[in-house]
Amino acid sequence: MRRFEYHRADTLEQVSRLLTELGDDTFLFNGGTDLLVEIRERLRRVRHVVDIKQIPGMSDITYDETRGLSFGALVTVGRLERLPLVRKLYPNLCAALASLGSIQVRNRATVVGNVCRASPSADTIPPLIADGAFIHIYSTTNMRVVPLAEFFTGPGKTVLAKGEIVTGITVPPAADNAGKAYIKHGRRKAMELSTVGVAVSLCMDDGVCSDIRIALGAVGATVLRAPEAEAMLRGTKLDDAIVKSAANKAMEECTPISNVRASADYRRDMVGVLTGRAIKQALETFA
Amino acid sequence: MNVTTPIEKRDFKEKSDFKIVGKSVKREDVLEKVTGEAEYTGDIKLPGMLHGKIKRAAIAHARIKSIDVSKALAYPGVKAVLTHENVPRVLHYGSPHPRSASCTKDQYILDNKVRFWGEGVAAVAAISEEIADEALDLIEVEYEALPAVFEPEDAALPGAPLIHDVGPGGNLVLDPVRVNRGDVEAGFAEADFILEGTFSGGRPHPAYMEPNVCIADWDGTNKLTFWTSTQTAFMVRGILAEVLGLPLTKVRVLVDHMGGGFGAKQDCFQHEFLCALLAKETRRPVKMEFTRHETFVAGRARHPCRIWLKQGFKNDGTLVARDMKLVYDSGAYGSHGPGVTIVGTNAATSLYRCENVRLEGRCLYTNTPINGAFRGYGVVQSYYALDIQMDEAAERLGMDPAELKLKNVVREGDIAPSGHPILGHGLEICLEHGLEVVDWKTLRSRDRTPDAKRPHIRKGWGIGCEMHGSSAYPGIKEQGNATVKVNEDGTVTLLTGAAGLGTGAHTALAQIVAEELGVRFEDVGTIHGDTDVVPWDIGAFASHTTYLVGTAAKMAAGKVRADVLERAAMKLQVKAEELDLSEGKVFVSAEPGRFMTVAEAMGPSKGIPAANIVGNGTYEPTKSYSFAVHFTEVDVDTETGIVEVKRVVPVHDIGKVIHPIAAQGQIEGGIQQGIGHTLTEDYVIDKKTGRSLNAGLVDYKMPLSMDMPDIETIILEAAPDPGGPWGAKGVGEDPIIAIGPSIANAIHDAIGVRFHHYPITPEDILKALREKGQ
Amino acid sequence: MKRIVEFTVNGEEREMAVETCCSLLDALRDDVGLTGTKKGCDVGDCGACTVIVDGQPVNACLMLAVEAEGRTVETIEGLQPDVDVLHPLQDAFMRHGASQCGFCTPGILMMAKKLLEDNPNPTDEDIRFGLSGNICRCTGYTKIFDAIKSAALEMEAARS
Repeated sequence: MRRFEYHRADTLEQVSRLLTELGDDTFLFNGGTDLLVEIRERLRRVRHVVDIKQIPGMSDITYDETRGLSFGALVTVGRLERLPLVRKLYPNLCAALASLGSIQVRNRATVVGNVCRASPSADTIPPLIADGAFIHIYSTTNMRVVPLAEFFTGPGKTVLAKGEIVTGITVPPAADNAGKAYIKHGRRKAMELSTVGVAVSLCMDDGVCSDIRIALGAVGATVLRAPEAEAMLRGTKLDDAIVKSAANKAMEECTPISNVRASADYRRDMVGVLTGRAIKQALETFA
Repeated sequence: MNVTTPIEKRDFKEKSDFKIVGKSVKREDVLEKVTGEAEYTGDIKLPGMLHGKIKRAAIAHARIKSIDVSKALAYPGVKAVLTHENVPRVLHYGSPHPRSASCTKDQYILDNKVRFWGEGVAAVAAISEEIADEALDLIEVEYEALPAVFEPEDAALPGAPLIHDVGPGGNLVLDPVRVNRGDVEAGFAEADFILEGTFSGGRPHPAYMEPNVCIADWDGTNKLTFWTSTQTAFMVRGILAEVLGLPLTKVRVLVDHMGGGFGAKQDCFQHEFLCALLAKETRRPVKMEFTRHETFVAGRARHPCRIWLKQGFKNDGTLVARDMKLVYDSGAYGSHGPGVTIVGTNAATSLYRCENVRLEGRCLYTNTPINGAFRGYGVVQSYYALDIQMDEAAERLGMDPAELKLKNVVREGDIAPSGHPILGHGLEICLEHGLEVVDWKTLRSRDRTPDAKRPHIRKGWGIGCEMHGSSAYPGIKEQGNATVKVNEDGTVTLLTGAAGLGTGAHTALAQIVAEELGVRFEDVGTIHGDTDVVPWDIGAFASHTTYLVGTAAKMAAGKVRADVLERAAMKLQVKAEELDLSEGKVFVSAEPGRFMTVAEAMGPSKGIPAANIVGNGTYEPTKSYSFAVHFTEVDVDTETGIVEVKRVVPVHDIGKVIHPIAAQGQIEGGIQQGIGHTLTEDYVIDKKTGRSLNAGLVDYKMPLSMDMPDIETIILEAAPDPGGPWGAKGVGEDPIIAIGPSIANAIHDAIGVRFHHYPITPEDILKALREKGQ
Repeated sequence: MKRIVEFTVNGEEREMAVETCCSLLDALRDDVGLTGTKKGCDVGDCGACTVIVDGQPVNACLMLAVEAEGRTVETIEGLQPDVDVLHPLQDAFMRHGASQCGFCTPGILMMAKKLLEDNPNPTDEDIRFGLSGNICRCTGYTKIFDAIKSAALEMEAARS
């Protein structure tokens, strides 16, 4: 079914009401770069779309050293990608943004949309989780803030209840002693859905790793952390040997599947290779 | 043959005696393309036009027990529904190259049986695409599932489910192709060593950018006008006429611009029949446009293949015996299976010289989407095996592969697969030239220590050799036609049926006409793409347009030139032999000051009416062979298995270049496709269900702008063939045949691992490295 | 139920009457009559439908026609500055053989136009990255890169 009804909302309250009233086949139309594809390829039954792009207050991007980076639900991937402060302070997120789809897609796709679609192979999710991001959720009764790590419940599934809308995301401020990296694995250099995505965010104090977070994409039902690998690395100097051991540990902590894009074994192998490379890349901040 | 005979080689350079041919003139068709004015079939809109859609089976092998279209017919906006119950039941070829020795009549427009997942079982015409799409869901089909086979080996087993009732039986599309030359057993007996290997090719897809599309419109006289994106307009006309029971005067096929075909738009497709029938039924124009998904399931991919190759060598590298068995997977219908099998198998009589050859080629039906013609036509597969095994022989002998290949490549006088002697030393010259350009000696002896900054990367260089014919002779009795007529202002119109799939063929033909006739390039207009008007054309395939139609155009231009000279001679009161024609002026050779323009020659003058000068050229050629050697540099990431192609130096001999940039473009485009074939492209069919797993452009992975290497194209005019215009030969398919083995050989050079299949995936690389103990 | 959408396309104020589920691509091709923008996949994977909306290149297939209300759209038909005058990119494409079947050409030209506006002196890497969302199956990209570099030089020379 490729025909659908189009509604344009001017307020969040209106959106919430429409989502609740119009029935299960009603979806938010933001960037549309996933939704329209799903409609065309008959992957999702859509009767109504609610265009939220006219709603004020969701297009802002702000940064301050206390709260960090905040951006609204309508902020496109391209706009965030091109912001110099994102390139400088969140190179991991920037790399993820720059690898999503194509330039044309990035001019329409939104970061919040990519997150809410909750694909296990989404590009923006691993760096945001590695950086401990929060997601802001509106409903007619209240606003709530959920750590991104707790937002996902399965492939394509989130904690959003009917009528709830994500209004934005906040990423904690980038510390001076932080190093960040995101590496996306694909068989070609662009227009890829990642076979594996590895995000690493770490802090170094006097040459010792005081904190590290490893987020793995496309190797589980949701983006995963690798807590045992992280534990091995905290408090060490991140020399080659310990990094290699931790990378191997990370391989055990993921649960990849085989599909036409890659086999589970290859994905697991790439977790090992790319975790090591991402840690090295994150360390280059300190070089 | 005496390999020390001095070899003449010439790099391409501008020739002062050619005025137009050999120059990269501005292509008229490109002007339309860069402004957005070029009209492709999908751009056409007719008043009252309906949209057609096809319902596709989600089962690989089944009988249709019942099909109920009542709900679909009743759906608001639907104007007609077709099923096997209300379309003509006529068995046709699908791809009947009209004079081909090898065709298989195995397709109905709609059958009561389904033979592959995605096969069309019904068609709807409605007032919008969306409504037609929705109506498909309302068609109720009851299937009786039949056991299916997805691999040729399984299809060949005794007792395997039979997919067709026609043909030689045993799921064979045609009788096995057998070639015997010399005495293979005696050859093996005298061999110093023998190499034996199995090779296999996956399923690359042409993935042209313009999805298949057609529009049908009947007029009050029961004449069908049919616009379609096709390389073979006259063939489509012929089959439509035959199946619909019409004389050829009642079927007109039109194709202006096409968005690529690469061979795969060379059949008469199911959707083309259905579109014509829906238009007839509704008495309104109907357009049918494939979705990208449909270009995969209902288009044509390259035949997957398995090849077993055994060759015997002497210690000095001489090849003494070749035994090869090829099995091509046809998919559910024959299409070009016979041609591909015959051409691919026969190609193995050549490339590397061998007196004792035994070949057997088979083509089998499986319950998978139909495979068909695709650039390289069976030879991509057979030469992948031949070239790689020659590389292996070099390794075994401790020889430089370049040296061994140079020793064994075919020479002038050797018999080509067509049965004719090869003209010119093309392959040797390409090889020697390339070796110099890349400084092969230095590459061979280079320091192989990995770069400290990228310790996991290994570099490799590989060479791939190939040859390919222009023209499909002898499998098809080729014929090229052209008509040239002179307009009263001295300009000239070339009428050609040659298809405009984007190769620049029409420009090349116009250049040939202008050069031969003696007018300026700007003075030649080209009419193409209307079967009611242009001379019969066999279609654009087999790299033959320049060679075949080019010669016909040259012949037609030659006749017109003679007629113009006769007429001018009469007016100037001299003999025709005393005249010359250049830049649109007829002048007395000995006295250039005495001249008249072509317009003046054409025009009426006192006592002499205006002229009507038209020239026809018909050319029935044999075949010429073009040659190519590719030198490729790769980087292999030994941790991820990813292979990057960094640099390609393709060296091609095409006899005479008509339009250098267009020729280079063919080579560079063929390389993109070949890189994809060899490393990342595979149209995957689930072997349990027959379902397509990656019928889209993200998961069917073609190299994109960031993936392409630097390409330094070199074109030589080393071995002109008198069968083509001024020696010109084809170029379209050569690049895609040479690049594959050169990449595989480069990978071997990089990591010491030999692959016998394509695509070579990162998983394959890592697995092989592990087994090797790295 | 069709909606009237007023927008500016190639400098001209136009109106289209479209179903709300109609893509901008289909509307441009069927309603406005600008068939230069092509449909290669309809799902944003190939870039053949690239148009520029309010200065940003997007896939027209992934935008709804109703979203064009009040906006400025540029398509291939508006690229040449004047009748019989080509944009340097168009001329360069012709001279360098950067177009064979031509189906990807409008999308690539629109991307290239935007690329050179943002970055008048692109490196090879910049050009490859800039075109990474446009598929060409005929040329192997080599001559497209050449043409863009050549046009960049000409445009630079024309400025000085």
